[in-house]
Amino acid sequence: IWCHLLALTRNQLHPPSRGPHFTGCRSREQETFRCWWSAGIFQNLTEPGTLRVFYQTKNALSEWQECPDYTHTVKNECYFNKTFTHIWTSYCIQLRSVRENITYDETCFTVENIVHPDPPIGLNWTLLNVSHSGLHFDILVRWAPPPSADVQMGWMSLMYQVQYRVRNASHWEMLDLESGTQQSIYGLHTDKEYEVRVRCKMSAFNNFGEFSDSILVHVAQIPSKESTFPTTLVLIFGVIGLVILLVLLIFSQQQRLMVIFLPPIPAPKIKGIDPELLKNGKLDQLNSLLSSQDMYKPDFYHEDPWVEFIQLDLDDPAEKNESSDTQHLLGLSRSGSSHVLHFKSDDDSGRASCYDPEIPNPEDLAALLPGHSGRGDNHPLVSRSSSSIPDLGVQQTSEVEETPIQTQPAVPSWVNMDFYAQVSDFTPAGGVVLSPGQLNSSPEKKKEEENEKKIPFQLVSDGAYTSENTARQLSADVPPSPGPEQGYQTFPTQAVEGNLWNGEYLVSTSDSQIPYLLPEAPPVPILPPVSGYTVVQEVDAQHSLLLNPPSSQPAICPHSPNKHLPAMPTMPMGYLTPDLLGNLTP
Amino acid sequence: MSSFLPAVAVLLVALLCLDLHSRVASAPICTHGPSGCHVLSLADLFDRVIQHSARMHSLSNDLHSEFEQYFLPSKNHIGKIYHKCHTSSILTPNGKENAQKLAREELTEVILKLLMAWRDPLFQLHQSMAHQQDFNSFSSNKALEMGDMAHELRKGVEKVAERMRVLGMLGNSVTGLSAAEAMLPISDSGEAMSNYELLYCFRRDSNKVQNYLKILKCRIVPEHDC
Repeated sequence: IWCHLLALTRNQLHPPSRGPHFTGCRSREQETFRCWWSAGIFQNLTEPGTLRVFYQTKNALSEWQECPDYTHTVKNECYFNKTFTHIWTSYCIQLRSVRENITYDETCFTVENIVHPDPPIGLNWTLLNVSHSGLHFDILVRWAPPPSADVQMGWMSLMYQVQYRVRNASHWEMLDLESGTQQSIYGLHTDKEYEVRVRCKMSAFNNFGEFSDSILVHVAQIPSKESTFPTTLVLIFGVIGLVILLVLLIFSQQQRLMVIFLPPIPAPKIKGIDPELLKNGKLDQLNSLLSSQDMYKPDFYHEDPWVEFIQLDLDDPAEKNESSDTQHLLGLSRSGSSHVLHFKSDDDSGRASCYDPEIPNPEDLAALLPGHSGRGDNHPLVSRSSSSIPDLGVQQTSEVEETPIQTQPAVPSWVNMDFYAQVSDFTPAGGVVLSPGQLNSSPEKKKEEENEKKIPFQLVSDGAYTSENTARQLSADVPPSPGPEQGYQTFPTQAVEGNLWNGEYLVSTSDSQIPYLLPEAPPVPILPPVSGYTVVQEVDAQHSLLLNPPSSQPAICPHSPNKHLPAMPTMPMGYLTPDLLGNLTP
Repeated sequence: MSSFLPAVAVLLVALLCLDLHSRVASAPICTHGPSGCHVLSLADLFDRVIQHSARMHSLSNDLHSEFEQYFLPSKNHIGKIYHKCHTSSILTPNGKENAQKLAREELTEVILKLLMAWRDPLFQLHQSMAHQQDFNSFSSNKALEMGDMAHELRKGVEKVAERMRVLGMLGNSVTGLSAAEAMLPISDSGEAMSNYELLYCFRRDSNKVQNYLKILKCRIVPEHDC
């Protein structure tokens, strides 16, 4: 009815330029609908009854029927009640002048597309909260769906839109569509009057209904501004004061702070050396000074008892030039504990050792070692482990005991081992010369095998070790020694030197004679593939190993008379086992 | 190590024996009702299905509006308003009272018929939209989603019908829709319907489905004095 009146007034204000036409059709609840028309400029047709409405429902392709109900109270309205309203059905209506048999207007629609729901009812608001400053507030607006819409059954599912504005402003703020019956409005200003209104439409359709009546929202401002004002002032002044204090503090304590935050870098200090001398002194003076310092001890190694027992065979011509260091080694005085293992190095390199009776029993050695070494992890025994790195340095004593006791099951396998490399000599440069395990296999193959197996060669106490693999790689170009001697390998200096003088090494320092641990007693010309094994005969007080060449070698060693080694029981496999240690007594 | 082997063997045998005695058949998941797991009530099922249909209808409305906006600026054109949809042959209640007067079984059947009739046309719609250059991918995705939703909805309504049958609310007159006619969307002139016509018809039919479901729910699940 509203719309109809609006249309009519529009028509009166603006003279219509067209003839009779439909002004609109609407349904309020999707159960009935109405259509309105106007006569237009044809004033002679304004009398009721001259213009008639005919409709046709297109689903049955029925014939044209006249409007079922011309509303009596409202002019130019045709009302279709429930009986005549078919949803989801196309209607076409015509405005005819029967007398002249002219159709002035025709329009088609489906009912659900002309539904404009009634406005919601019961709009009210409640205050949610007011901001701390008292300048803003939030409200919650509530309403009820229009009574004409059957929302309960769901025949119409409505979506609502809330709008608000400052009173008498021109622009309405629109909020998002809401399917419920309440909505919050945030950020309203106190001391301003607001208007709020709401309208609805069917969801998934595009026709909004009329707006509800506006409600007025007003919240008076609470005068609480003065409380906030001094707080901010106090805060500002406090911060400024603090900053000033800090600055004063820094400036007054500048020197001390400099020391704390930027400490001076200490000058280098060498005991007993005048820094000035470093800057101005001559090299000779410096050298003399330095040499007198404690840190540089050329005689250090003399005191290492372990080294005493390293014997070098000077007769090997190939090793003559490398004998200086080893000579040094041999020149050590003997000191000893009861359980010092002798390191026999008198073998001609690569061949069976001369000292067949002197190889201690593995059992004896094993017995000796655990009792002796306070640190079980210092067991210097060379043990064969086929899979993992036998880091003797960290093995338990018990483990170590086991491994040497493991007699080699098969000679060939043992013989083929490349795990261990025997340090046979030291170069003057400080490098350690290793003897390779096998002579027969190709170096590449050896390398492959060694790559797979972990490092067998143990430099025990410090954990520093080199592998035969490494040794081979490092000394790839070392020419194989002729004759019975197997190739020596030199270690890089840095890997060995620092630890050399700290004790426990499995070092065969024989320049030319390499003590071998041979599983059997092959004839001398047949070089055992594993030549790098030494029998550990003694462990001295410093837990250094003294190695002995295997005793099972039948070769006659011409260098026997210089041996210091005690009589050693035969070691079948060339291993030094803890129980063998027991047999080792100097 | 070797001592373990007999123990392991015994254990294995024991496990196997246990397995043999255990139930082999699959047991239903929710046998203990609400304490066991969450069993959806019929009301919940209806709610879900109605939500789904609402979503489907909203999608169809969006697509239809896009079409109208870009391709058919003039509304109320006589020739284009009335479209004969391929589902017009299905007898559907045209009003609230008519739907309320209809029997539950018939109403359910109508819903299922409608959904079944749109299975292929929606697929065709998506295909034609995807191939035409006029539409962006967004629209063709919507069409695809719409087709999927119709399919899902049909499955859902079938489940609801099954549940109602189990609960004795439905008689056995509801056909299994085995005779679902493959309805081809053909317009009056015999040609295939255009995309716009398809969308127009589907929008109408999805609204029908939604409202029918609501009426059905109101009758089956008594609440809010429908």
